[in-house]
Amino acid sequence: MATTTQSQPKPALSFPRSIFAAVSPHPFLQAHLTASTPAKAPLRANGRTAQEFRVPGVNTGSLTHCNGSAVVRLGNTSVVCGVRAEILKAEDAQGGGSDYTPTAEGDDDPERDTVEIGNLRLLVPNVELSTGSTPQHIPGSAPSTSAQTLITRIRSLLLSTHLLRLADLLIQYAPPAIDPDDPDAEPEKQVKAYWVLYIDIFFISIDGNAFDAAWLSALAALKDVRIPHAFWDEELETILCSDNPADARSLTLRGLPIPATFAVFEGRRDWDEEGEGEEINWVLSDPDAFEESVCRESVCVVVDCSAGRGSKGKKGPKDAVLRRIEKSAQRERVSFEHVGRPDTSGCWMIRSSARAVDLEIGALIES
Amino acid sequence: MAPEALLSHLHRADGSATYTHNGYCIIGAVNGPIEVQRRDELPEEATVEVNVRPAAGVGSPKERHLETLLHNTLRSIILTRVIPRTLVQITLQVRSLPDEEGAAGVHPSLLLLPHLLHTSLLALLSASIPLSTTLTSVLIAIPSSPTSKSGAPLVSPTATDLLRAKPIRSVHVFAFSGDNRLLLNESDGVFSFDVWDEACETAEEACCREEGGVGLVGEGMEVDGKESANLEEWLRVVVRRKVEHEQRWKVAT
Repeated sequence: MATTTQSQPKPALSFPRSIFAAVSPHPFLQAHLTASTPAKAPLRANGRTAQEFRVPGVNTGSLTHCNGSAVVRLGNTSVVCGVRAEILKAEDAQGGGSDYTPTAEGDDDPERDTVEIGNLRLLVPNVELSTGSTPQHIPGSAPSTSAQTLITRIRSLLLSTHLLRLADLLIQYAPPAIDPDDPDAEPEKQVKAYWVLYIDIFFISIDGNAFDAAWLSALAALKDVRIPHAFWDEELETILCSDNPADARSLTLRGLPIPATFAVFEGRRDWDEEGEGEEINWVLSDPDAFEESVCRESVCVVVDCSAGRGSKGKKGPKDAVLRRIEKSAQRERVSFEHVGRPDTSGCWMIRSSARAVDLEIGALIES
Repeated sequence: MAPEALLSHLHRADGSATYTHNGYCIIGAVNGPIEVQRRDELPEEATVEVNVRPAAGVGSPKERHLETLLHNTLRSIILTRVIPRTLVQITLQVRSLPDEEGAAGVHPSLLLLPHLLHTSLLALLSASIPLSTTLTSVLIAIPSSPTSKSGAPLVSPTATDLLRAKPIRSVHVFAFSGDNRLLLNESDGVFSFDVWDEACETAEEACCREEGGVGLVGEGMEVDGKESANLEEWLRVVVRRKVEHEQRWKVAT
């Protein structure tokens, strides 16, 4: 790197802050992280410490024409999610649907639920970037690779966490008992239709960490969903919905998986001078757009702390269950060992902060 | 069971490879360094473009996601700064998938990912694109055992193995660089940090474990016939065979 502005004690040429950031983003961030005195924690360009997350703002139920909706803000990243439930008749269902129906609450089989939800495509997430949400997005073109990647990640996480129950999405009909000899015989329930949830995620602006914001909004919106009571009317031979709001029910989600994204910032990237200088790396939590443009490595950890909630109503960090880890590659200097091995500090940092975020956001969404 | 690889068999591409393992067959072709479109040109480094074509139909968001993963990984091993303002184009065509793939109950993209990584690396090697290191990748599946604890990890299982071991508790894909650094990790399912650590350890062994110190150069020759050599040795054997084939005239005369 030709820019060595930060190493000179008295720079001959000095720039205002914004120009420094635009001209040489990497030294700019490194200067920020190294500048502070050893006693103080290093601050990033956006004023946060390395471990600090932006405080999310969650607002649910703001859209009138959706079954559930949420607006989530993470700093300047703001995203709206609306969930709309539509009826899919059983005879129109793609793949026909198998005969598997979850009957009672007791025999809950998350695996089979998910297979069925996936096969019938009862969950349809979509991500849209609004014009001007990010400089990279060119309006009027087909969904960009990043938007498609986001959709895939959200859809696969929705399925792999077994978040939704199939029982919530079925519209069943129990025909009256016909057999006069055995009036006690339980008539077999028929699946007449399914609810399909269209999860539309709309980015108003993106300032880094798009996945976390998108997932949080989808989760909050799903928690907010109220599905009207639907039933099969035998005389009309169609499905009717009750207009009484008291009949509507919400979804019972399994767990509360919360993502936490980190970026790894490599100090001193003179990669062609081997073995020169010591390595300094920072793990930056909840990176903003500027940091994402500078950092090449990122880690996304999805944690679920809700499973171990006992009668005490307290969630401990011991109960954390990992649902997913995604780590993208980088230039080879840093390895994920910082995260994976207990003897390094980075590991505990990511672990503990992922849990802390889970607890914090869990409380926020549930309130 | 070692994967099979066929290098430089497409004559119109700069480099190519066909890779077959566990019922997956992928053709990879690399063109580069070639001229880049103005819009994609980067002033200081090469643009890397990855195209994944599925076995049937046209690409979907699933393929875009795989492309993003591959792009990030390959960009970090290609010496992009050596060939600035050029394009390295990698095209991967999935030729066949195992029949049981859909029934295994595991995220299919994760099953495909290590094979795509290997194919693209072999194609890059065949095209002689400057690389900073090699990579090896492996899939680890952790089945759930009757007890609440997780069962023994399956290393690079076939689709039938997965089907037999159902239900699978978690799936992990790891990619290591030549110097044993973790390049990529995708984990999915229900697991704890300890399970992840164990899976990572197992993957590292499968990819780049060194047996009894640094092996002599001559020793690698025997790996050919032997089973359960690690993936890095396998890669070395593949490359050595390619070089021997190319140098056969020089050696003979």
